[in-house]
Amino acid sequence: MRCVGTVPNMIQLINLTKVYKGLRAVDGINLQVGRGSVFGFLGPNGAGKTTTIKMMAGILAPTSGRILISGLDLAKDPSLVKQCVGFIPDRPFLYEKLTGLEFLDFIAALYRLNDKGSLKPRISELLDLFDLTHWREELIESYSHGMKQRLVMCAALLHHPKVLIVDEPMVGLDAKAARLVKNLFRSQTRSGVTVFMSTHSMEVAEEVCDDIAIIQAGRIIARGSAEALKHQAGVSGTLEHVFLKLTEGKTLAHERSLSSY
Amino acid sequence: MFVIGAVGTAFCAGMFLVSCRVLVHFQSVEVIGDLLAGRLLAMIFLTFFSLLVFSHIITALSNLYLSNDLELCHSMPVQMEKLFMSRVVFTVMDSSWMLIIFGTPIFMAYAYVYRPGAGFYFTLLHLNLAMVIIAAGIAILVTMILVYVFPAQRTRDIIILLTVLMIAGLYLLFRFLRPERLVDPEAFFSLVHYLNALGAHQAAYLPTQWISETLWAMLTETHGNGEHLLEVLLTWTTAAAIMVIDVWVAQALYVKAFSKSQEGKKRRMGGKRILDFFIHYLTKPAGVQVAAVMGKDIRTFFRDNTQWSQLLLLGALVVVYVYNFSMLPLDRSPIRLDFLQNELAFLNMGLAGFVLSAVSARFVFPAISMEGEAHWIVQSSPLKPERYLWGKISLFLVPMLILGEVLIIVTNHFLQVTRGMMVLTSCTMFFSVFAIVSLGIGFGAVYPKFKHENIGQVSTGFGGVLYMIVCSLFVAAVIVLEAGPVYILFISHVRGSAVTFCQWAFILASFLAVVVLMVTAIFKPMSMGIKALRAYE
Repeated sequence: MRCVGTVPNMIQLINLTKVYKGLRAVDGINLQVGRGSVFGFLGPNGAGKTTTIKMMAGILAPTSGRILISGLDLAKDPSLVKQCVGFIPDRPFLYEKLTGLEFLDFIAALYRLNDKGSLKPRISELLDLFDLTHWREELIESYSHGMKQRLVMCAALLHHPKVLIVDEPMVGLDAKAARLVKNLFRSQTRSGVTVFMSTHSMEVAEEVCDDIAIIQAGRIIARGSAEALKHQAGVSGTLEHVFLKLTEGKTLAHERSLSSY
Repeated sequence: MFVIGAVGTAFCAGMFLVSCRVLVHFQSVEVIGDLLAGRLLAMIFLTFFSLLVFSHIITALSNLYLSNDLELCHSMPVQMEKLFMSRVVFTVMDSSWMLIIFGTPIFMAYAYVYRPGAGFYFTLLHLNLAMVIIAAGIAILVTMILVYVFPAQRTRDIIILLTVLMIAGLYLLFRFLRPERLVDPEAFFSLVHYLNALGAHQAAYLPTQWISETLWAMLTETHGNGEHLLEVLLTWTTAAAIMVIDVWVAQALYVKAFSKSQEGKKRRMGGKRILDFFIHYLTKPAGVQVAAVMGKDIRTFFRDNTQWSQLLLLGALVVVYVYNFSMLPLDRSPIRLDFLQNELAFLNMGLAGFVLSAVSARFVFPAISMEGEAHWIVQSSPLKPERYLWGKISLFLVPMLILGEVLIIVTNHFLQVTRGMMVLTSCTMFFSVFAIVSLGIGFGAVYPKFKHENIGQVSTGFGGVLYMIVCSLFVAAVIVLEAGPVYILFISHVRGSAVTFCQWAFILASFLAVVVLMVTAIFKPMSMGIKALRAYE
């Protein structure tokens, strides 16, 4: 079996739950994300966005539930599923003692990109796209935060993933880089790639996302396009108004401290 | 904590006993015995002082310029002098543990042998404190000047390298001085003259001289009222003066140097082509993914001066280990020579096993934690945990095998053991290395510490200590299981008698138990590690 990009729902989360010491960080989430779309995952701090994303990237094991990506069960064949996925974390922790080029070569080897003939042009193309060509031979420890973030994006796109899972993509990016990333997501979806993105920024979600879910205290409280959410909330105006309206009066995410569980 | 406490107590007790033994022996030498003890005390203080200065330089670099919390501290509305002094206190406390752990048993040995009054202990305490403050003050002054001139990262790397070279050099120097000659009457008097010559030029201007003279006078009760008050006052005024100088210099240089240390890190390192060549041929037999992990680890190791410089210490350790065996006075042993040689070779297997365990605790156990906060890269990749762990084992197996076999084969050569013992010990070491490395990687995966400021913290945590204990138990179990068969075979060879059927059964059962132990020690930690990595959160 191998990952295919033609399954209608590229991402399926079925009763996905994650419990930490009695705290239900993610509580029975059910989601389907269509192929070739940008899906926005919004929520306040501590709502469970990053936990959900880490489970989808295969970094955290769910307590219960299933994750299907490209029709494949992540729990049954994680190695195969991860071959289809490009993950961009919120904080770009990298191997500081490698150069940018060495890091991308390392990533290419992990994803078994053995064809040197196509790999070199692909690396050059991505470094050029993210304006890192002149830094390719420098140690990553000399990179700024934004450069590291862009290098992580190069790494995530290197193996032509079918699904991009992105946690807070705009953190640390300047306006030019932010514009680049938004354009990148749109161009990727036109090629059939599915983008699952968490963000705090309502403007980015409204501008880029085809479909949005709002999570709070580990549960989905609203789902739909930006327009549908405005209708559901009964407000006009920006998505920020919608978010504040939908979440007003509800308890904040995990008010109790972990030690009280 | 209990285990660490027990190990520490045993270590201190051992140092105390050895120190007492030396001092009692000195006392038995007429006329110059006390002189030697006094000179030794001065040398001990000088050595501690030197080590404290170097240790404080590294700690000061970190506390004053490189710690993660410094940006927050400097952005706070706190006077620079107060911030600086708080960091000085941290530095003093951070590095002074060495004096407490290594110095206390030695000083208590002096107290036990010479039975001074109560005043000695109070004087010992406050003068050691003054010495620590002086060492810290000098170190901080040097650090501030160095960082003002060089970037902080480069300064740290240079100082660490120099410190490692100095420690390795001191270790080799101490061993090649052959202190065992102190207990050999034939060599003793020539050594006495040598030590006398060493101490002939006393540095009257050094604080360590003031401290050792004051304490020695109290130990030998040649201390009259107020006789050494000048030395005590000199010591404390020096400590106060160095602190004042440090604050003055900090007012001029510290903030500027801190700002400089925040500007851009190092750029590309040299020697890339050599490293690429080395990695290409070393990782060729491995699969693509495993080769990538090995290559990444090798590059990271050799580009971090604080990591590869420890190989220098390891080299010194191996040289001294082998040298010890070459100097064994086997010809003067009252026990039958061939018995002694082979017994020593067998015990040497255990000793080498413990040495390998200690080396493995430093280099192999932290291998998983070395991923640091970048561990998400491997976890989110298609690389299977089992391939990842076996890749880590592959990386360390060859150097550890070389180390283990060198320790065994070279020392066995000096011991002139029988061929059978050479084969047995070499083979046992070969498979033991597999087990020790596998235990290291497995335990490292079960007890990872991805968030660390300093990789040295990983080895000294709960997982590292537990690993050392399990490894030591493994080595001890192998020795115990093989001891019986080896004894039976050796005795039958000496007596020229045949081995009975029951004895053969015992021998086979023992070696089978060793095989089962080895296989368990190789594969069980790996399965534990794979399970732990899959469940990591």
